[in-house]
Amino acid sequence: MTESTAAGAMLVCDDLRKRYGDRAAVDGVGFHIAPSETYGLLGPNGAGKTTTISMICGLLERDGGSVTVDGRAVDIGTAAAKNAIGYVPQELAIYPELTATENLRFFGQLYGMNGADLKRRIGEVLEIIGLDDRAGERTDQFSGGMKRRLNIGIGLLHQPKLLVLDEPTVGVDPQSRNAILSSVEELGRKGMAILYTTHYMEEAERLCDRVGIIDEGKIRAEGTRRELVGMIGERDRIELSATGNLAAAADAARAFDGVEEATVHEGGLGLIVVEAHRILPRLLEAVGEAGASVTSVEIVEPDLEAVFLHLTGRALRD
Amino acid sequence: MRAALVIAGKDLRERIRDRSALILAIVAPLGLATIFSLLLPSGDVAFRTELALVDLDDSSTSAAFLSGPLAAIEEAGIAGVVVLDDEAAAREAIEADDVEAAAIIPAGFAEAVRAGEPAEVTVIGDTSAGLATEILRSLAEGYVAELEAIRLSVATVSAALPAPPTEAEIEALVAGAIDTPSPITLVDADSELRRMAASTFFPASMAIFFLFFTAQFGILSLLAERRQGTLPRLVAAPIPPWAIVAGKAIGSFILGVVSMTVIVVASTLLLGAEWGNPIGVALLIVAAVLAAMGITALITTLARTEEQAGGWNAIVAVTLGILGGAFFDLSQAPEVLSRLSFLTPHAWFLQGLDELAAPSATLGDLALPIAVLLVIAVITGGIGLARARGLVAAR
Repeated sequence: MTESTAAGAMLVCDDLRKRYGDRAAVDGVGFHIAPSETYGLLGPNGAGKTTTISMICGLLERDGGSVTVDGRAVDIGTAAAKNAIGYVPQELAIYPELTATENLRFFGQLYGMNGADLKRRIGEVLEIIGLDDRAGERTDQFSGGMKRRLNIGIGLLHQPKLLVLDEPTVGVDPQSRNAILSSVEELGRKGMAILYTTHYMEEAERLCDRVGIIDEGKIRAEGTRRELVGMIGERDRIELSATGNLAAAADAARAFDGVEEATVHEGGLGLIVVEAHRILPRLLEAVGEAGASVTSVEIVEPDLEAVFLHLTGRALRD
Repeated sequence: MRAALVIAGKDLRERIRDRSALILAIVAPLGLATIFSLLLPSGDVAFRTELALVDLDDSSTSAAFLSGPLAAIEEAGIAGVVVLDDEAAAREAIEADDVEAAAIIPAGFAEAVRAGEPAEVTVIGDTSAGLATEILRSLAEGYVAELEAIRLSVATVSAALPAPPTEAEIEALVAGAIDTPSPITLVDADSELRRMAASTFFPASMAIFFLFFTAQFGILSLLAERRQGTLPRLVAAPIPPWAIVAGKAIGSFILGVVSMTVIVVASTLLLGAEWGNPIGVALLIVAAVLAAMGITALITTLARTEEQAGGWNAIVAVTLGILGGAFFDLSQAPEVLSRLSFLTPHAWFLQGLDELAAPSATLGDLALPIAVLLVIAVITGGIGLARARGLVAAR
C-alpha cells in the first residue's frame, strides 16, 4: 500500500518554489510518492496545485527546489525522467481534427513507441478508457466525458511509472466523472504511482492513500485520511443551510463556546465544533438572534473538508 | 529528428482534414490565376487592326503608299488593308466596324508633290480605335516625309542642271533617289526578351501571394496548440523543445513546396503557363518558400494570439503582394514603387521567373534572386525561430 519515507520513492519533491512577481505561487512544497501509491494534492483553486505539477513535469522552470522521478532528476529537456511521467493536463489536450486512435498514435510516437507495440498498446488503452468502439471517430464528435477519458488515455499510453493527473474531472458530468474515478482506482490497484490534484474532497478521500493539503502555495498538512482527520480530534463539522445576515451569524457562532471555526459559504455556514450534539440547540438560537434564518442542519462526521477548514479557516470551495 | 517529423506529419494531417490549407494553398491561387488570365488583357495576344486606303490620285506616287508602308504592316500581321473607292465608302466601312481607320490620298496629290505645292493625306478613324488611327497616321507621316525628301533631292539636282529637266529625266531622278540606300541604317537589335508570358505571370504571382498564407501555418499552429492546451503535453514529452519548432517548420515547408508545385503543374496543363527550366523553378520555389516561412514566423511570434497573428500576417501578405508586383506589372509603375518592390520576396521570385523566360537562360541567371530570397529567409527566419523556441520553452 503506502510507503511514507522518501527512500525508494517514485517521486520526490523537495522545497519547490515558484514566484510570479511578488506573489509566491509555490512556497517550499515538498512531498514524495511511493511506487504504487496514490497521492492527492487537495486545495482550492489558486492554491498552487497546477504550478506544482507543472514543475514536476518539466513544463515550468523552478525558482528553487528539486524534483526526482524514479531516481532521475527532472530538469528542462531531461528525456529519461520525462519518459517516466504520464501527464494528464487539466485542459483537454487532444487534437479535434484527429481520431482517438490518431491522437494516441501521435503521442505514442513522441514517447518513442512504434510498430506492433504501439498498435497493441493503443488497443489496450482504448479498452481501458472505454473508447474502443469509437476509436476511428474524430474527437470533435466526442462528448465532453469521452474527451476527458481520451485525455487520460494519452497519459497512460506509454505505461509511465508515475501518472500525474491535474484535476481530471473538472467540468465533467457525474456519469463520466464516476467512470474516470473508477479508472484511476483501477490503475492504483494495478500498482501505478499516481499524483492526483483536486479541489473535490470526496475524490481525494475516495482515491488517495495519502493527501497533501495545499493552500497559498504551501503544504499545510499531509497524511492518510485517518491521520488528517485525527488532527481535528473529536470535533464535528456542522453545515447550516441559512438565509439572512450570514456574516453576523458567523460572528455570533465564532463567539460561541465550543465553536472553533465558522465560515460563510453560498447558502449557509460551515462550522467546526466540539461536541456538536451538546451545543447545537443553543448555537442555533444564537445564530437566529444574529439575523440568520436556518432552514436545515447537517452534522457531518469529520472529513477532509473539516480538516481544511480547521487548517486554513476557509472552506475548500472558497 | 524523428519527433520533428512526427509533429510535421500530424500537422499536415490536421491541415488536410480542415481543408483550409487546400483552399489557401491550391484552390484560391489557381482559381484567381485562371480568372485573371481570362479577364485581363494579355501581352501574349498580338495586336491586329483593319485599315483602308482610298487612292483618288491613282498615280505611281500614291500607289507607293500601298506597296510600301501598308504592305509592310500587312506582311507583319499587324493589320489587314483594303482599298476603297472613295471617302464615303471609307466612312461607311468605319461606321460598320469593317475597318478602324482609313487614309485618303486626294486627286492631284502626285502633281502637287512634284510641283512643290501643299499636298496632304487625310486619315480618318473610329474614335474608339485610337491606336489604329495613330498607327495609320504615323505611316502616312512617314510616307509624306519620304516623298518630301525625294522631292528635295530631285529639286537640288535639277537646280544644278544647265536646263530644266524633262519629264523623263525627272522620273529617272525620282527612281534614282528611291533606289539610293540611306547612309544610316537602323538595325533592329531584336534584344532577347527576359519576361515571362502573362499565362505564367498570373499563376506565379498568385502562387507567391498565397504562399504567405500557407507558410504561416506551422508557427501559427504553435499558438493554436497553446490555446487548445496541447502545447504543454508536447513540452512534457521526452523530446527536445527544438524538435517541436522544427516539426512546425518542416510542416510549413512541405505544405509550401507542395502547393507551389501543384500550381506549377496545374497551370502548365490548364493555362498553358511556361515556367522554364524545372530545376531553376524548383530552386526558386524552395527559396521563396523559405523566405515566406521566415517572414511569417517572425510576424507570428510577435503576436500574442492566433487571431492577432493571422491578422498581421494577412496585412503583411497583401502589402508585400501589392508592393512586390503580384497584382500588376511593375514595369508600368512609378520608379519609386518599382525600386521598393525589391524589398519583397515577391519581386525577386517573379524576377527569377522572368530570367527563366529568356531562351538562353541558365541557372546562373537565378543566382541573385535566389541569394536575396535566402538572405531574407535567414534573417527573418532566424529571429522568428528563436522567438518560436521561446514559446515552447519552460518558463
